[in-house]
Amino acid sequence: MSDDVRIPDPAAPPTTAPTPPSPPRSTVRALSCPNCGGIVNVRAQGLTVSVLCEHCGSTLDATSPDLQVIARANQALKQPQIPLGTRGTLNGRVWEVVGYMERTDEDVFWAEYLLFNPYEGYAFLVDDGRRFSLGIMLDQLPKTMLGSLLLLDRRPYSRFGRSYPVRVTFVVGEFYWRVAVGETVIETDFVRPGTMLSCEEYETERTWTRLDMLDWGVAEKAFGIPPRRRNYHSPAPHEPSPYKRQFAEAVVVGLVALFLLGMVSSMAGREQQIIQVTSRVAFDAAGRNVVIRGIVLPAGRSRVAIEADAGSIDNAWVNVDYTLTNEATQRSVRSYTTVEHYAGNDSNGAWSHGDPRDEVALSSMPAGRYDLSVTLVAHRWNRRGGDSVPTTDEERAFFAHRTRDPGDRIATTVADPGAATAPVTITVKRGGAFGGVTFLAFLMIAAWPLIVVFKHLGFEKRRKAPSYSSGD
Amino acid sequence: MIETNCPNCGAPIRFGSNDLPVKVCDYCHSSVLRTGGNLQAIGKVAEVPEDVSPLQLGVRGRDGDRRFELVGRVRWRYADGAWNEWLALFDDGSTGWVGESMGRYMMLRQVAENALAPVLVDQVKSGRLIAVGTPITINGIEYIASDAKQVTCVASEGELPFHAPLGLSAVSVDLMTPDGGCASIQKDTGGEVEIYTGRYTALAGLNATGLRSFEGWPMPAFAA
Repeated sequence: MSDDVRIPDPAAPPTTAPTPPSPPRSTVRALSCPNCGGIVNVRAQGLTVSVLCEHCGSTLDATSPDLQVIARANQALKQPQIPLGTRGTLNGRVWEVVGYMERTDEDVFWAEYLLFNPYEGYAFLVDDGRRFSLGIMLDQLPKTMLGSLLLLDRRPYSRFGRSYPVRVTFVVGEFYWRVAVGETVIETDFVRPGTMLSCEEYETERTWTRLDMLDWGVAEKAFGIPPRRRNYHSPAPHEPSPYKRQFAEAVVVGLVALFLLGMVSSMAGREQQIIQVTSRVAFDAAGRNVVIRGIVLPAGRSRVAIEADAGSIDNAWVNVDYTLTNEATQRSVRSYTTVEHYAGNDSNGAWSHGDPRDEVALSSMPAGRYDLSVTLVAHRWNRRGGDSVPTTDEERAFFAHRTRDPGDRIATTVADPGAATAPVTITVKRGGAFGGVTFLAFLMIAAWPLIVVFKHLGFEKRRKAPSYSSGD
Repeated sequence: MIETNCPNCGAPIRFGSNDLPVKVCDYCHSSVLRTGGNLQAIGKVAEVPEDVSPLQLGVRGRDGDRRFELVGRVRWRYADGAWNEWLALFDDGSTGWVGESMGRYMMLRQVAENALAPVLVDQVKSGRLIAVGTPITINGIEYIASDAKQVTCVASEGELPFHAPLGLSAVSVDLMTPDGGCASIQKDTGGEVEIYTGRYTALAGLNATGLRSFEGWPMPAFAA
């Protein structure tokens, strides 16, 4: 018993032409193939033009009420990997597989699924054997820029290779156009990473399709087939480089590491003077030994720089030998340098040579107390025609200045050229830039981004290499 | 609105617009021509074959801020397929067409014949087809001819501006612009040239309500 009592509404207009509410009907209509009698499911009635019977392969005319046979065939057809009638959701839209075709450019083969949704129309799922792309027919014409560039939605697409013929090698299911094995169209591709604009020309028709590459596994998951294995050996023309993001990550991580490296080396790199000793050494005599005890190096490993400054020597050199010995282990590190300075006049004018100051750096010294033993041996250079007395105007002026201002600090450290000894100042410093170590660390930080860059370039080279020979 | 009865079968029929002279009887598929107060059954038209179009008579939609209702349909066929043209009756009494082909939609309105260069009108009238790829200017906008074909009427229903019997033939040229604009030039059997301009749109762009529902397919969010 129904309690539903309808009271006529006087304001409502009388229904003159009652239209019975039509119950939702199925989009699928089962017909029988006039050739083999098998069931042919037509899933887009009214839109479908050609049907290829999946049982016998006959081509049927869906625009005739009784599916007239256009081309009779009697062959067992192979099944597409995604069976006809399978539904899947891509980007939030449900699609049903209604047709399947295989095509070739005579070099590589690929598969195209025709997808249908009564409210969305058609789409193509293109399977190149590795990855899937979702294609939508464009309802606008891309703008041609400078010959090989196209503009669509303000984004540029560059032409990929030449136009090439594409032939249908296998068809099953239903299509909104007349399909036939062997049908050939001329295709031209324009790409940008992730997207391809494909122009197909057939007789007087020209259609544009926009293909968006789907992420790995998306199509497989949507339509319930096993996921494809990732590989980047032979990328599709519109495949985005997988290394681009890695590169961005590598650069960010590298920059952070570089910043930290800079911080650490500038903090550790601040030089600290430990001790300074000045000693006089006699020329052309037995060497002089200076021992500096109790040099403390902190925990970890540090750099020790030892500077020898014989600033006042003239036409002489001092050999400096260092031995840095750990007081506890008695392990020692040896190093040496020569500080020298020569000057004079010849036919080319005044000349000078040598550096009276030099620094020796010992890196990665373990912590502990050290003794530094310095052996100094000074030699005078015996010049031919020995001009050891001031003869030039310059020299005379220099000595005049020295005489006038005996308190001048520079003047006091400048030895008389004829003096029997030379003062050598030894300065011991701790810390300082780890030139080599820092550079090594920099190389290690740069290695990852560099490897990714080379991988990216290799990928782009493979991507841009035309995979079809017919187009060349 | 005029409510009356089919002169052929007596079923009630309704003319929703005073400007549309033809109504196909829902029951006997007679094409009823109204001239002034006279009704005349001028022949039967084929019943529209079943298809999976989400549109149907009575669907209400919006083109920009102008509301319309689909009141009639003509189904056309050509060598390689068929498509629907739905007559949209706007609230202001004007009409437009919603073209539905290969799952895509076009919102079109008729423009005056002088929107097209007279030389082109003459070319279409003389029966010489416009080549695909030809640039054609209509009302100052440049379109490119994308398709040109001979078409015949398969069936019709509802209210129409003309009698569309089975076999009515026409020449149809489709045009499009780079930014989604489209146009159509048609020459009917009488040799008259009609020009329509508009734009491609997704079904969502029609802001339609009252769409057909299909078993197993969720109604899209935009039509709910």
